[in-house]
Amino acid sequence: MNLYDIIINRIKVIPKKAKEQEPVTNISASSVLAAEITLISSVLIAAIMIRKISPILMVVVVLALFFAMVTSAPIMPRLKKEQNDSYNNMIFYVTLTLGILVTLFYWGANNV
Amino acid sequence: MNPLIPIMVILPICCALLLNLFHNKDKTVKILAIVVGLVLPIIPLVANYGLHYFGGYSPLIMDPGLASEVPSLITGSALNIFHPAITYTFASAQKIFIFILGIVAFFAIFTSLNEIKKPSGVYAFLMFMGTASISAILLSDDIFNLYVFFEIAALTQVGIILCSGVERNYETALKYMLLGNIAAPLLLLGIAILLGLTGNVNITDIIYSLKNGLVDPQNPSFLLAGGLIIFGWLYGSGLPPFHSIKSAVYSKALPHGAALLQAFSVFTFLALGIIIIRIFSYLPLTQWVIIIFSLMAMILGITMAIMQTDFKRIIGYLAVGELGYIGLGLGMGTAFGVTAGLFQAVNEAIITAFLFIGFGTILYKTGISDTRKLGGLLSDNPWVAGLVLMAGFAMAGIPPLNAFQSKLQLVQASIDAGFPELGIIMVILSIITFMTFVKVFYTIYLRPRPQDLKIINETIPKSTIISLVAFLVICLVLGLFPQLVTDNLSQFAQGLI
Repeated sequence: MNLYDIIINRIKVIPKKAKEQEPVTNISASSVLAAEITLISSVLIAAIMIRKISPILMVVVVLALFFAMVTSAPIMPRLKKEQNDSYNNMIFYVTLTLGILVTLFYWGANNV
Repeated sequence: MNPLIPIMVILPICCALLLNLFHNKDKTVKILAIVVGLVLPIIPLVANYGLHYFGGYSPLIMDPGLASEVPSLITGSALNIFHPAITYTFASAQKIFIFILGIVAFFAIFTSLNEIKKPSGVYAFLMFMGTASISAILLSDDIFNLYVFFEIAALTQVGIILCSGVERNYETALKYMLLGNIAAPLLLLGIAILLGLTGNVNITDIIYSLKNGLVDPQNPSFLLAGGLIIFGWLYGSGLPPFHSIKSAVYSKALPHGAALLQAFSVFTFLALGIIIIRIFSYLPLTQWVIIIFSLMAMILGITMAIMQTDFKRIIGYLAVGELGYIGLGLGMGTAFGVTAGLFQAVNEAIITAFLFIGFGTILYKTGISDTRKLGGLLSDNPWVAGLVLMAGFAMAGIPPLNAFQSKLQLVQASIDAGFPELGIIMVILSIITFMTFVKVFYTIYLRPRPQDLKIINETIPKSTIISLVAFLVICLVLGLFPQLVTDNLSQFAQGLI
């Protein structure tokens, strides 16, 4: 089974788990695939910017991200499920972001 | 003192109040809204650059008569140059931003008056009040005054969603308000901390205090204020984690309302982003935070857009993604990068409004925004489809349209600033933006028409077509002559860095 088949099968499974009624069409499958590739490539390219901090750390992070993302593919259907219009999800990520920002600025700003 | 500066805020507020009063007088609402809407973009073009002190309370240094009566203890201190009044600053960048905001507001209102069967004074009230608030946010050098208008803008945005009558709009409006109940008080807390530490809410004075050792820039409370203001900035502009609710807000408004709402987000993003850069740019962390959140907005916004099936939601997510380009420009920390980012903001406000109103014709004709139920609409209005196609080309950055110039500048700026990775990501995401648009265009216009698709309104109002043509002309003019805007923005960016 090649990577494309694995991704398509996973795309078919996830809507069932999420109890979504939408059929998997060619357009939706290719959309998820395009989004998946975009996400992985963008994150990996962005991670290269860690070279500004340490080139060795950059290599480690890029390799770790690459293996993590490829082994957990497809990420996009799960990401879509996570970014739905649920108020609980929104409030969770809002609180998380607030916590990270406050921590970084209050305790870490002078050291970054 | 230039009286035209406060008029940019006072005129739309007065117009909004009158429109509310004349709610049931359709002809009066139409005439008043169109006349004031036309005047709004003209005022910044004719106004001279300068400052406006509300109440006439200029700094002591500018009022020798009053200074002579004040003890030398005061005139010999920093109080001599501090701004006691709420101060509005009108400079080269504000001129462009308020002009573009006025253009988007006019065409959004103009379109709404003809697409809605009965012109609503209340809806027009909300649109004008929102425009006034965003103008004030752009002009104000007083961070508390900015916060007040930030809240008014948030309320008008909720009102615009509630007026739409779209299914589940109340739920989205409530969620947006509840999230605002977390973010806005924290923004206010950040402002309160700045006030507590510097004794001032005037941004220029806060920066003076920082640069002259009146406040310790490494004070953890001062830094915390920075974090809280950045959090408020994320909410106001719709950057992650507020990207889902922001795209939902756009999708629950009527297309002309959404066209204006996205302009509000773009200019709130700019106003707060510029303040963050002015006050906190001495911290390398600020630059990284702006870049990381902008990247997240681009990646999440554009990848989520391609997986949606509702065209309003697709444009909503694309609008969030496009904000990321502006943020990257600001985050690069170079004058060229900031100029390119500001130019991208101007272009995005125009192009997204163009797209919302363009695809809004589909909603007007069919009452459907789900692309799975649409198809074959090219034959109905091929000229309108052509205009929508141009809007998509503009958003993707295809020459000779305006976003091509700004995105090219952004890529060049990223290389100059030592971040070529950002340039590569911008190019990749522009391609995906184009792909997303082509998918929507194909499903709506080109594939065979579903048999059960019914046309509710045969004819698209002329006002909508005029608005689309006007947006296309602006896109072409800014694409062919970018210096019309970039010269002004460049002056501002050089002063900022």
